[in-house]
Formats: sequence, C-alpha cells, structure tokens
Amino acid sequence: MSSHQQVLDPDAPVVYEQYEDIEQQQETYIVGMWAFLVTEVMMFGALFLVYSLYRWNFKGEFFIFHEELSWQLGGLNTMNLLLSSFWMAKAVQAAQLKNIKKQMKFLTGTVICAIGFLVIKAMEWIPKFEHHLVPNNSFIWPPAHPHGSGGGSPEHARVFYSLYFIMTGLHGLHVIIGIIAISILMFMTKVKAKVITDYIPTEMVGLYWHFVDLVWIFLYPLFYLIPK
Amino acid sequence: MEESHAEHGPHVISNKVLNQTFVLLIILMLLTIIAARAPIDGPKYLPGMVDFFKKWEYAWPVTNLIALGIAVIKAVNVIQYFMGVKYASNLSKVYAVGGFVGFTLLFILFWDYAGRAWEPVRGWEKVPSTALPRDFDNDGGVPYKQYPGNEKAHESKSEH
Repeated sequence: MSSHQQVLDPDAPVVYEQYEDIEQQQETYIVGMWAFLVTEVMMFGALFLVYSLYRWNFKGEFFIFHEELSWQLGGLNTMNLLLSSFWMAKAVQAAQLKNIKKQMKFLTGTVICAIGFLVIKAMEWIPKFEHHLVPNNSFIWPPAHPHGSGGGSPEHARVFYSLYFIMTGLHGLHVIIGIIAISILMFMTKVKAKVITDYIPTEMVGLYWHFVDLVWIFLYPLFYLIPK
Repeated sequence: MEESHAEHGPHVISNKVLNQTFVLLIILMLLTIIAARAPIDGPKYLPGMVDFFKKWEYAWPVTNLIALGIAVIKAVNVIQYFMGVKYASNLSKVYAVGGFVGFTLLFILFWDYAGRAWEPVRGWEKVPSTALPRDFDNDGGVPYKQYPGNEKAHESKSEH
C-alpha cells in the first residue's frame, strides 16, 4: 500500500511498513509526543504540589513575600508567551498548508518572543541577586528596601524564594530548550532536510512549546498574583 | 472549515478559531490581573470605595479560586485549539487528559496534611523544636502540646 501511494504522489511522506496508512503513522507521532508531555506534567506537578502545601501552611506570609516580585514584568512575560504560542499555532497551520515562507515567518516571531521572555526574566532575576533574595548563603530577609511590608518569618521567606527560583528556573530551562528546538527546525526546513517530509516535525515542536506556555499560565497567578 | 474533516491530511485549524482563542486568552489574563490586584491597588485609585475593597480582602479563598479557575480555562483553550486536541484522534485525547488526571491525583496527599498537625522540624519553628517523633517529650525540648492540634493528644498521654 505504501509503495502504491508513493507512485501516486511523489511528494507524499513515506509510510513505514509497520503502519496501515499515513494517518495512523502521524497519530503515533502525536501520541508519542503527548506521552512525553505527560511525564513533563508529572515533573512540574510534583513542584506544584510542594508549592500548594507551603502556600496552604504559610497563607498570609506568601502574600508578603510575593510583594518583592514585579507583577508587571510577569504580566508582560505572560503576554509574550501567549503571543509566541499563538504564532506557533499559526506556524503549524502554515506547515499543514505547505506554505514554507509563512511558516518560517511565524517561527521567527515565536523565537523572538521566547528570547524576549528570557531577557525580561533576566531583568527580574539579576536584581534578586543584588537584594540577597536568592536562597543561598547570602539570603537576607527582610530585604534592605522592601517593596511590601517585609514581614514574615525569614525561614518561610526562604521556602518561597526556593520555590520561585526552582519553578521559574526549570520553566526557563524549558524555554531555552524550546528556542534551540525551534531554531533547529527552522534550519532544517530552510536547507530542506530529508527528515522533514510533512508538517509533523513542526507539530511536535509546537506541542512542546504550547506546554511551556501552559506551565507559565499557572506559574504567573501562583507567584505574581497572590491575592491579599 | 470546522467540519471539513477531509479523508486525507490533517485537520487545519482555521484562522478564525486561532484568532478567537488568542483574544480570549489575553482577555482572561487581564481579568486575572484585575481580580488579584483590585484589593491592593483599588483603594489608591478609587479612595471612595475603601470599604468595598476591605471586604474583598476577606474573600481570599474566592479570589484564589477565581485566579486558578481562569488559569484552568486558559489551559483548556490552549490544549483544545492551539495544541489541536479537539480535532485529534481519541487515543491522543486519552493521553492529553491522562497527564492532568495524574496531576490532580497528586493532590490526594492533602487529605493527609488536612488530617493532622504540621510536622515539627528543628530550626523551622518559631519555638525551638526537637524534631523528634510526635510522642517523644524529653526535658529541655518543646512541650509537645505547644503544637496546634496536639493539645488533646498530650492530655490523654499525661493521664497514664
């Protein structure tokens, strides 16, 4: 069946012999990617669980600690990731319609947003080192010039900032991996690499990128928008 | 476009659906910010409504639920339309839902934490802790009954 299909359409992707048809083959790629994303959900899930337990136990204090974070910069980054996710969805659509030029345009937009995200993240992180809010030996609570009331227990503040740096750090690492993945995809699409026969590689990278966006959708309200 | 499930080739999600999803995501994001910041910044800009925002502060369980509820709606939209799960095969849907079911099941652990007092850990409590088993009450250590929820247990122990 596969050889028959190739004769009909020389540009059609190859159907490997273990599959019935191209739909089944493409479904296995998507299911495989989702299986990977399930493991990612569980990895972040453990951290969200730890966060929830401490947030529950240190209810009022977490509000005081979060006042040192900038909800404006966090909001800007949310906007950034939502836009990049939107462009990624557009890139997948362009790949499905075999419009390479449009696809490359949207992928470039996605990468620019991702780099913008990291720049804003650095603008948040670097002052935290100067204000001794990084949970290492130099950690000091309350800070010299607190934005909020600066109250609460120093040990509990340390827990909050440990969670903040671990969770946004792991998310930031995913953004960096995403930038590398999208760049490789763009390069291979540009040089018309043999492995790219259809829209599936773009779809795979897209699923990963939307997952990165999903994590941030929860991180933003949990760290930057703690209700009073 | 919505129903154009062709025999061959993938389901192409229309521009209209993608644009609507994006606009919805941005609106929801602004709503979360407004809901969370209103009791903090509200009195600055609307000094006449201080009493209203004071009441808002007591509603922190509700505002928490609003923030998370909006985040869940955003996530569902990203999964359904940007990730295309709405148009994917049933097997893909099982995987997409399965991860989040597993994630929710993690929170069964709260049952345990809700049912007993927080474990004392040395150096982490405002009163010095022994970080010893719950029923251990040595001299110089913290009286066991100082931990909230343990008073009753202490009374029954001292009867012996």
